[in-house]
Amino acid sequence: MKGIFSVLVENKDGVLSGISGLFARRGYNIDSLAVGETDKHDVSSMTIVSTGDERTIDQIEKQLNKKPDVIKVRRLEESRAVELEMMMIKVSYSATNRASLIELCSVMGAKIMHVTMKYMIIELAKEPETLDEFVMLCKPYGILEVQRTGTIAMSKK
Amino acid sequence: MNGAEAMVQCLLEEGVNTIFGIPGVAIAPFYEAMYENQDKITHILVRQEQAAGHAASGYARISGKPGVCVASSGPGATNLITALATAYADSIPIIAITGQVASTLLGRDVFQEADMRGATESFVKYSYLVRNVNDIPQIFREAFYIANTGRKGPVLIDIPCDIQKLTLKKEFSYPKSVDIRGYKPNTKGNRQQMEKVIESINKAKKPLICVGGGVILGQAQKEVRSFCEKFRIPMVSTMMGIGVMPKKHPLYFGMLGNNGKPYANKAVAGSDLLIIVGARVADRAVPKPDELERKVSVIHIDIDSAEIGKNMGPTLPLVGDAKDIFAQLLEADIQIDTSGWLTQLEEVKKTTVDHRVFSDRLVNPMTFVKTLSDKMDKDAIYVADVGQNQLWSADNYIMKEGRFLTTGGMGTMGYSIPASIGARFAAPDRQIVTVCGDGAFQMSMYELGTIAVAKLPMKIIVVKNRYLGLVREHQEKVYEGHYFGTQLEDYPRYDSLAKAYDMQYFEAWSNEELDGTLDAFLKADGAALMVVNIDSANNTK
Ligand SMILES: Cc1ncc(C[n+]2csc(CCOP(=O)(O)OP(=O)(O)O)c2C)c(N)n1
Ligand SMILES: [Mg+2]
Repeated sequence: MKGIFSVLVENKDGVLSGISGLFARRGYNIDSLAVGETDKHDVSSMTIVSTGDERTIDQIEKQLNKKPDVIKVRRLEESRAVELEMMMIKVSYSATNRASLIELCSVMGAKIMHVTMKYMIIELAKEPETLDEFVMLCKPYGILEVQRTGTIAMSKK
Repeated sequence: MNGAEAMVQCLLEEGVNTIFGIPGVAIAPFYEAMYENQDKITHILVRQEQAAGHAASGYARISGKPGVCVASSGPGATNLITALATAYADSIPIIAITGQVASTLLGRDVFQEADMRGATESFVKYSYLVRNVNDIPQIFREAFYIANTGRKGPVLIDIPCDIQKLTLKKEFSYPKSVDIRGYKPNTKGNRQQMEKVIESINKAKKPLICVGGGVILGQAQKEVRSFCEKFRIPMVSTMMGIGVMPKKHPLYFGMLGNNGKPYANKAVAGSDLLIIVGARVADRAVPKPDELERKVSVIHIDIDSAEIGKNMGPTLPLVGDAKDIFAQLLEADIQIDTSGWLTQLEEVKKTTVDHRVFSDRLVNPMTFVKTLSDKMDKDAIYVADVGQNQLWSADNYIMKEGRFLTTGGMGTMGYSIPASIGARFAAPDRQIVTVCGDGAFQMSMYELGTIAVAKLPMKIIVVKNRYLGLVREHQEKVYEGHYFGTQLEDYPRYDSLAKAYDMQYFEAWSNEELDGTLDAFLKADGAALMVVNIDSANNTK
């Protein structure tokens, strides 16, 4: 199963390595990790997406909670949360498929950020699954590079 | 006041009167401040930093307060790591203070720089790198609080040498209270969960309590014991839980697990409700948690919610402080009749034959531990090392009202000698006996120097089988007797070693000699070393 954790942590040095170390050491997956400041300068927010069985996801929550630098852990249920991830993808094109690539972008709500004679850099911010789909759809054109930010999520409540 | 003086002042505020360590240039300002305060805080110079950590552990386990160890930067600090890992695995509150290179040079790989926060990340409960001299009082206050509350454990304070020399901006003041927003240990059991626990105890026909080291760390021995006695609920323990109940108590059915009493394991298998308190359910105690979980209902009580469900899914989790919870359970409306179950357990205990035989060539190890424990004071402290000797100690020591110290969580060879030095400073008037193997002894024998200089009347027994016995046993059973890398032979010459450190020396070669020699050894003035020779063919199983 998928576990989405929204974690508030002290904005101090060593905190991120402590948390990523916890995942590495205990063999928990990190599918994605996004970190940023919150409205309070001394608090950072992390969104961590992981997969594992029920017991593992449960343990992750408890182990995170054990860290004194972790102020709050919230486990977000997929159905009750909104997720967002941003991606930049560099896709090559030719004269023949250029129009269809532009059409694909507009259908998917992606933005073209930069165009050269050979490729475009496209930006897309959506749920992570949509990003996966978009990558699939771009494959036939030829993907040169992909960069994703990792998921951020918020409870709807 | 400079940083170093503030550090000493913080220790005084915490009521620290003994610390264990070895100086170096990076921690020299602190030692200078200690020099000025040597009438208030005793510094015990050990011979290797690992021993400082284990001594702090022994001190903490007996005093109930965090033990303090100190090392310099780089190799001094890294030498502490094994002791930190040991304290972490055994949940022992210690404060490790390490000197660090100047803050201006951090990260440049200068002489004797080691990233201690990074290196110990997975072995400490929390760590600090002090960057501002004015933070010292706050950091020390928090460190002691974190180490000794909730699930206890080691906390590291790494402090660059230049910061120790800077002057505090304001007058020193020690924070009265601690408020760490991410650290609020939950001690009171949840009311609803409590009700459910009581309900399931009331329904149980064959309840059994399994206690771990957490009961001792939480100083809940009295409450748990009274609970068992009031409702006539039998008890087994893990290795770290030895001492919660006297060995001969009618409700005590021994240590469970791989290395435990077969009848204790039968009691677990035959129960219908297992109440686990302050134990990790680790592999040595419960080899097949999934199987057990299917057969019996489990109530798991622990201060650390992450321990619950980590290795076994409990039917009922209860997070909180054992002392608090059992004080409440003692008052609860519980009506159960366990007399049939107790008779059944008695029967199991009587009929379970121990198939192990020990060699009477030289001293019989079982006879040795039993004879020794008969002679020990009621409230004595028995410090056991690691290996076959540890398992014989755990199995045969007749616990009265004293303590049994060993590292059940990490199993670090060489723990016993420094840990007993620490225990000695926490309880100068209690009898302390250290029992170790000939392998482990040689991992800590440099501490005889510490003992000699401090004139400590330590009583150290080496169980000599000329082997790294537990590994030899493994090689015998698993690798067809391919003994390799496990022979210690006849060195050192223990009598010469005792002489070198001004210790009295005793040696037993037979069961007949054992009695008289042990008497003389225990009565000896000052420090004494005794070698108990046993047949290397003895096994634990
Ligand atoms: C520091 C450390 N190194 C290695 C081990 C692995 N080990 C466990 S028991 C043991 C043998 C202990 O030998 P000894 O101290 O002579 O005790 P005996 O088993 O012979 O009673 C070893 C090497 C360990 N537990 N700790
Ligand atoms: Mg040996």
